[in-house]
Formats: sequence, structure tokens, C-alpha cells
Amino acid sequence: MKGFFLGLSNGATCVAYCTPVLIPYMLGEGKNIARNYIALTQFLLGRLAGYLVFAFIAWLINLSILDRLGSKGFLIGVLYIVFSCLLMIYAFFRTDVPCAAQSIDRIARKIKVPLLIPTLAGLLSGIALCPPFLLAMTGAAAEGNLSYSLFFFFMFFIGTSIFFIPIPFVGALRRIQALQIIGKMASGIVGLYYLYAGIIAVIEGVRGI
Amino acid sequence: MKTDPHKAPQGESIGTTIVLTMVMAVTTVVMFSQGKMPQDPKELIALALTILFANTIFFLLIYTGRTDRYRAIYFSTFAVALVISFISHMFEVRGSMSLSEAKVFQCEVPFCHLVIPMTLVPVALTKTIIFPGSLIGGYASIASMFVIWIGATLAFGRGFCSWGCFYGGLDDGFSRVLKRPVIKNINPKWIYLPFAVLLFVVLTAAAYLSPVYCSWLCPFKAVTEFKAVTSTTVLIQTIIFVSLFIGLVIVLPILTKKRTQCAFFCPFGAMQSVTNKINAFDVRIDKEKCLKCKRCIQVCPTLSMNEESLEQGRTRITCMKCGKCIDNCPKGAIGYHIKGTDIPGKRNVYRLLFLFSAFLFLAIFSSHIIEDGIMRILKLITTGSMI
Ligand code: SF4
Ligand code: SF4
Repeated sequence: MKGFFLGLSNGATCVAYCTPVLIPYMLGEGKNIARNYIALTQFLLGRLAGYLVFAFIAWLINLSILDRLGSKGFLIGVLYIVFSCLLMIYAFFRTDVPCAAQSIDRIARKIKVPLLIPTLAGLLSGIALCPPFLLAMTGAAAEGNLSYSLFFFFMFFIGTSIFFIPIPFVGALRRIQALQIIGKMASGIVGLYYLYAGIIAVIEGVRGI
Repeated sequence: MKTDPHKAPQGESIGTTIVLTMVMAVTTVVMFSQGKMPQDPKELIALALTILFANTIFFLLIYTGRTDRYRAIYFSTFAVALVISFISHMFEVRGSMSLSEAKVFQCEVPFCHLVIPMTLVPVALTKTIIFPGSLIGGYASIASMFVIWIGATLAFGRGFCSWGCFYGGLDDGFSRVLKRPVIKNINPKWIYLPFAVLLFVVLTAAAYLSPVYCSWLCPFKAVTEFKAVTSTTVLIQTIIFVSLFIGLVIVLPILTKKRTQCAFFCPFGAMQSVTNKINAFDVRIDKEKCLKCKRCIQVCPTLSMNEESLEQGRTRITCMKCGKCIDNCPKGAIGYHIKGTDIPGKRNVYRLLFLFSAFLFLAIFSSHIIEDGIMRILKLITTGSMI
């Protein structure tokens, strides 16, 4: 549920930053809504693939590093605190800075095979190291089992994807800048939750040492 | 009716004002007393003072042509009376402001409108109200609050935040303490924060079936009720709501002269902003008369006016219809307006229609609270105790 929730709160931001990539593509192609949905599906599948790769990496990190440490809870707590602070800075004070995915997407647009563009853009946006993503990764790594990690990222994917559904009806998203700011701020509030979770984990970790 | 196109709007003539006030007086006497006079002299005095206060304010609103100045006096009195009445009531029935787990289980928590956005998705999904309040009856039931909210929303949209909300008068009042703001430049991006809080609390309420805003973020718990501190989590929640109350409801409104809780944090306000689209009244600017002096942008307590909106002759979606920009425009270019009609059109008529309905709503909604607040003060003076 945590992954879904984190994805949901972050979804508006993802959508706000991914639409500048998706919409011109859809408009440029000048296809109908059904074709737009196909492009969107390709994009989302690429994104899912990116997330699942990271789920695997999160599990490996847990296996190779976290499990060997005596105070895993403490370390996870510290990571939560660092990433949630990053997320809050990014959400509340750097609202003008685009998310990491945007620059990666530019690379995808340079690739000239039309069928692959949405899939690659999705894949690359899925592996962008933005603060909410780093938090998701810490959350997945904390549990230390592969199926949980995959499930966590899958739910994160579902959460963020809900916001993509209306995109093929491009006209409805005129107020894209307002949506970007609202989405970012919402993820900043989620950062507050993780800050709290981090502080509690650190306190408990210290007690356990 | 005095109408000079080159001056800020004037009030109505004394004759019109008296006639309108008489109508308001009859309505308020009937509504406030509910057809029966109290036997207890203290109650009778409290009722008489409430009626007198409401009608004096209404008279001044109509006669002087100033909307925000007199609205704010009534609105802030309502908020202060709520605090007095609510806290006294809690001490009367529970012996303290804190809520025990037992009361939560017995569903005896008074329902307030700020919870509404969090209840909608869970109601649709699970057919249950995720709030431990009573559905009908009791101090503030869920059903009565929903009925009041739907009516007010259809009539005034976000006008509810300046003419209905029983907390709004607190930051509104504190925003008037200083003559000039100490903090002047507020980044306009903060008007999006309530929408982000709304998104967050709606999603978390749907995911966890719990009113997260009430448990973690609502600053008004500091002046109404809160959970008894029995664990570290509740202690953290208490630190959060007390800090938010001091920061957003007291200190920042004083320093900025803005309604910082309502404009930059409240998720209910964000939801009401959206409802601004579906009701008859809005605030519009007559572009022919406008000098572009930007006084309205400076004074708006919610940053609902900016250069772009001024250019378009309208306010932003977050406008609370408080009337401050209307009072401050040197050219009388701003006024209440009925959607679909001409601008300026019959602006005095639009103003009267808006004021009559908005003030009547405010007066009726607040009557028992103000009356009870006065009663408690009279009790304090005569017996030394409010309960
Ligand atoms: S206060 Fe606003 S509407 Fe009135 S003249 Fe100045 S800029 Fe124009
Ligand atoms: S635009 Fe005018 S009426 Fe609306 S909130 Fe601002 S000051 Fe009040």
C-alpha cells in the first residue's frame, strides 16, 4: 500500500513532467484518441520496465549491504530523513526545477524509430533518480525480499499511472503549470510523512543498538 | 440609490437601508428565537444582544457601502464566540478539551466542515463515513453539516470561507492587527499548497480510510478539542497542530496581513475554490473604470488578484468574496456580479442580492454560537465560571 500511496501522491508530478514529452509526440503524430492510448500504453510499459529494474536493484542492495549491517532500521531511517528532506526542498523551494526524468526524456526523443519512442521515453523516465523515486527505493529495500520489492514498485507504478489515463484527451490539461506545482507540493507533503517515519526508525534504531 | 461612475461605491440611502434592515430584523428575530422567548434573563439578554449585533452590522454594510470592514467584525466575533462556546461545552460534558479513546469509539466527536473533502471518496467506495461523529443529533452532527455545506456551496462557492466558516474569522482577525505588513513579498506559488494538501488528504483518506488531516494537520484543534497525549505519536501530533496554529493562524497573518491558514494551507478552502465555478455570484472588475493602480492586488488577503486576472477583469479561482478589494478600489471598479449579466450592469442590485443572502446565511449559521458565547461571558461575569 505504501508504494501505491507514494506513487499516487507523486503521480500528478510525474504526469505534469511527462506530458510535455508525451503530448507533443501525440499531437505531432496527429493520431486519434485510440492511437494516443496505444502510445500511452507503450510509454507506461516502458516505465513499468524501468521500475521493475529498480525493484531488482533495491533487493540486491538489501541483500548485499543492508542485511550485513547490525542496525538496518537505523540506516533506513537515516536514508528516509535524507531523501525526504531532499524531496521537500525539491517540492517546496525548487518548484521551477524540472524533474530528472525530463532531461532523460530528451535523449529518448532523439531516437528516430517511431515505435520505440514512447517505450524508451517511458523506460528512461522510469529510471530517473528523482527524490520520490529514491524514497520508493529505500522503502522497497527496507523489506529485503524480491517479491515485496517488485510488488512495491509495481504499486508505485500503478499509483503514478492513474494520473496518466486522461492524457490522450490532451485539451483538458491546459493548466499544466499549476498541476506541476500542485503535484510537486503534494509529494513534498508525502516527504513530511517519510521524515516522520525516518525519525521514528532512527529513534528505534538507536534504542536497539 | 447613489451611483457616481467616477467614485468608489457608495452605500444605499437611509430609507432603503432602514427598509432592508427591517426585513433582516424580522427574519433574524424569528430565526434566532425559533418562535419562543427564553425564560432565563441571561439567555434573553444574550439573544437580544445577538439580534442587535447582527442587525447593526447589516445596517452598516448597507448604509456605508463598505463590505469587508463590517463583515470582518461579525466574522471574527463568530470565530471567537465559537472558541468560547466550544471549549466551555467540552468542559461541561467531558471535563476537558481532550478526547479519550472511549469518546472516539462512541462516535461522539463533533463533525466540522473541514472533514468533508476526506469523507467523499470513502463514502463512494465503502458507503461509510470515516469520522467518529454522530450522523444526526448531538452537538454538531454529520448530516446537519453536510446540508449546510451543500446549501452554502451552491449559493456562494468559496464565499463560504468569508461568510460561513466558523474558523476563518481567526486568521481574518489576526491579519488586521497591524496597519502595514512586515512581510510583503509572498511567493504566489503558495496559493497552490492548499490544493496539494487537498490531494494528499483525499488520497490518504481513501487509502487508509482515516481523516488524516484531522489527526495530523488541523491547526484548529488547538482551540477546540484534541486527543489526550498518551503516546509519542499523539505527542508529535500535538506539537504539529499547536505549531501550525501559532504559525498559520496567529503569527503569519499578523506579519503578512494575509489569511495564511485559509489561503495557503486549508484543503477545504481548495475544494471550495473549485466550487466557485458552479455558483451564481463572482467578483468582477470593470476594465473601463480600472486605473491599474494595483491596490486590489496588494490588499487581497488570499492573493486571488494578480496582474493577469486584473487584465481579464476577474479574480482568480481562489477568491473568497470577502469584499476587501471592493472596499479598497479608489475608482469603485470592482463589485459583486451575477454570472451571465453585464458588467458593471446593476452593480448595486447585485451587491444587495449577494449581501442579503450571504449575511443572512452567516447570521443564521452563527446565531446560536454567538448567543452561547455571550451567555458564557455573562455567566463568567456573574458567577465567575463559564460552565
Ligand atoms: S484597485 Fe484594482 S480594480 Fe481598482 S483601479 Fe486599482 S487596479 Fe483597478
Ligand atoms: S479578490 Fe477581492 S473579494 Fe476575492 S478574496 Fe481577494 S479581496 Fe476578497
